Amino acid sequence: MVHGTARAGWLGALLLTATGVARAQIAGGETWYEPTRVGAPLVLFLVFSILVLVFIDRSRKGAQLFIRRIAGINAIEEAVGRATELGKKVLYLTGAGSLEEIQTIASLAVLRHVGSLTARYAVDLDVPCKDPLAFTAARETVQEAYMQAGRPDLHTSDIVHYVTYDQFAYTASVTGLMVREKPAANFLIGQFHAESLLLAETGQATGAIQIAGTAEITQLPFFAVVCDYTLMGEELFAAGAYLSREPAMLGSIKGQDITKAMLIVYMLIGILLQIFGVHALKDFMSINGS
Amino acid sequence: MNLERLVHIDRRIIYLLIALGTTIPLLLPIGLPVSSTPPVERLFDKIEGLGQQEVVLVSFDYGPTTAPENNPMAQATLRHCFTRGVKVVVVALFPIGGVTMAGEILEGVAGEYPDLEYGVDYAFLGYKDGAQAAMKQMMGNAFAEVFPQDFFGTDTNQLPLMRRVVNHEQIALVVSFSTNIIGEWWANLVNAQYGTPVAVGTTAVSAPKYYAFLDSGQMLGLLGGLKGASEYEQLLIDAHPELMTIYQQAGIYTAMKGMDAQTVDHAIIMLFIIFGNTVYFLVQRRDARRKQHQA
Amino acid sequence: MFWKLRLPLLLTLFVGAVPIVTFFLTEHTPVIGPAVPFVRDRVESYMVIIAGFALLLGVVSVVQGSIRKIERRRPGWPFAISLLTGLLVMGAFGILSAMRVGPFQGLLTAPDGSDTPFYWMTRNMFNPLQAAMFSLLAFYIASAAFRAFRVRNVEATILLAAAFVVMLGRTPLGEYVFSWLPGGERWLPQVTDWIMAVPNAAAQRGIIIGAALGAASLSLRVILGIERSYLGVKE
Repeated sequence: MVHGTARAGWLGALLLTATGVARAQIAGGETWYEPTRVGAPLVLFLVFSILVLVFIDRSRKGAQLFIRRIAGINAIEEAVGRATELGKKVLYLTGAGSLEEIQTIASLAVLRHVGSLTARYAVDLDVPCKDPLAFTAARETVQEAYMQAGRPDLHTSDIVHYVTYDQFAYTASVTGLMVREKPAANFLIGQFHAESLLLAETGQATGAIQIAGTAEITQLPFFAVVCDYTLMGEELFAAGAYLSREPAMLGSIKGQDITKAMLIVYMLIGILLQIFGVHALKDFMSINGS
Repeated sequence: MNLERLVHIDRRIIYLLIALGTTIPLLLPIGLPVSSTPPVERLFDKIEGLGQQEVVLVSFDYGPTTAPENNPMAQATLRHCFTRGVKVVVVALFPIGGVTMAGEILEGVAGEYPDLEYGVDYAFLGYKDGAQAAMKQMMGNAFAEVFPQDFFGTDTNQLPLMRRVVNHEQIALVVSFSTNIIGEWWANLVNAQYGTPVAVGTTAVSAPKYYAFLDSGQMLGLLGGLKGASEYEQLLIDAHPELMTIYQQAGIYTAMKGMDAQTVDHAIIMLFIIFGNTVYFLVQRRDARRKQHQA
Repeated sequence: MFWKLRLPLLLTLFVGAVPIVTFFLTEHTPVIGPAVPFVRDRVESYMVIIAGFALLLGVVSVVQGSIRKIERRRPGWPFAISLLTGLLVMGAFGILSAMRVGPFQGLLTAPDGSDTPFYWMTRNMFNPLQAAMFSLLAFYIASAAFRAFRVRNVEATILLAAAFVVMLGRTPLGEYVFSWLPGGERWLPQVTDWIMAVPNAAAQRGIIIGAALGAASLSLRVILGIERSYLGVKE
């Protein structure tokens, strides 16, 4: 029922936006729509949304959708297994972002999976949190994961704990934890800033297997160089779908990939046209004449 | 020679050499020359070309952690504006320490120009939460809506400068000194929506992602890290030699002095990389020879 | 099930869809026009209020966890004592300063220009500690570079070469390398700028576009209620 309501609401919103834009001009030159935002942003938004909805629908009706192998996600079970063999804990960091940050939500999807693995293998999990909202959501996620895995007895309120909101105080606390307790597996998944290299390098020095994932392009090089596996950008956002293998989620990834393919074709055609002095495609994508 | 030990050299040796490479040049400055690059020159030329009644909006979007990189660029830009007689409006949008940095830097630099009058030549409006919303409101509607009072509690509309600076139409240039994303928002939101020229001074780690905005024309100039700050200081001294006395004061931290330490550290890292690869090749060659003998 | 699942999902749909629709509209839109500036400019700042309440929960968790650690003498329990001391002292100083009680006259400087106790602790303890942690990056970058930049294959060699050029080009050393040639002092800095402005920017743009589409896809899944991991419930 909720999905049906959601999709109906979403299509209604698309329709409202489209008709509102179509009947835009009113007397006095004032417009219903933001001139700088209607055009490429609206078209891209509509195309993207429609493609995602179409592929979700197809996927639900049984279409087989191929998603390529993502090494970092496949290594999650290996990492937790290593921690089980060594009898050491698994450390999971949800990053510096709050719950409004989409990377944090992606991280919670992976945390759920890691939580279910640690419950199944009866290995300690430690989730120190920097953001209070992410802390509350992570607490619920881990609790639910342990219950779903049938091991509520292993869950304690200390698994997910709040540290501090300050960036480097949090880093100092977590690196101290890494050095003292030497977790066997570190997951650094979410939004990170300058603390990324401090955390990753300290984890590397303690001998842990490290799986990182972020969409922060300034921090990706540090993770790629130091960690064993890195989920880059969209791989992080696809992780939840990849792990759950739910048709609706896989369908949304397919829609996203088709949109990207269309953008690549658009850019290639645009580059060719630019060479011959035709600026139509570039102008369409420009905002405010930039 | 134990090549394995050399390949996995104790990292504390690296830390010690880096510590020495940072400390010694700061205590005994080398004075290496700095030449400028186009992203810095474009910002410099823009401010150099502004008239005396034009207004620059300076936004302090960083905290104490990145002060060693951001402070010199903020100081150099403010000195440039004050030397040219350009008016300055200062705001802070970074939640942790932004307003403290803004207050300290502005107080220090303004103190070097005794003829400047607060409220006429410059104004400090303070900190506002919700950076994107604040940007949209002050540039799109009015500064006074976002900052009804300045940092010192004075009604904004009572300041002569703020009576004529209403919104983006009176701003000739926005310069954001940022540590991460807020600089991007100035380029994405303010330049895209209002066409106001935007320049960003940011840390070396964040600078690479701003080149995309520079190329697309959303940003006018970029000061990337300590190098960018030192280039701006050099340009400033070349154009206004009277400022040399400030930069030559002993005990004052400047980007040009910091570049000495950065240069030595880069050299140490490069030497270690060469050393590491040399040992790596020797190990590979030794292992290949052993395999040959065994075969 | 309604309170734990259905209601949050409906709220998510509404709160997620409305800003997207109002993004394209203005205050002149019939019927919903007056709500557009409110949704666009104010709603985001309400997150600060919600985060404030969640912060209380976090502080309770920190205090409870630290007290348990001290009681059971778990490894690292002296650090828990220093954490609680810092929390109580800074917290008390901050609250008293905001209320302007006794010598605690404000969060920054006192009316006579001297530092208030809270500001003194911020400037002389908090800021230096933050700067010390941030400065560790220099050491960690050196050790990471030593370990990572090895000529293992073609890609690693290209990475190493680019790193060398940029490290040289971003310092005055780069100007010395070819300064013996006419105009040579500009070569490395210009090559560095080209590396930053062309291949680096191109790669970053590609990752930004991919990540943005991925984020949009995940956001759509969250708004439509397909992705529910953040709620802590599956079905």
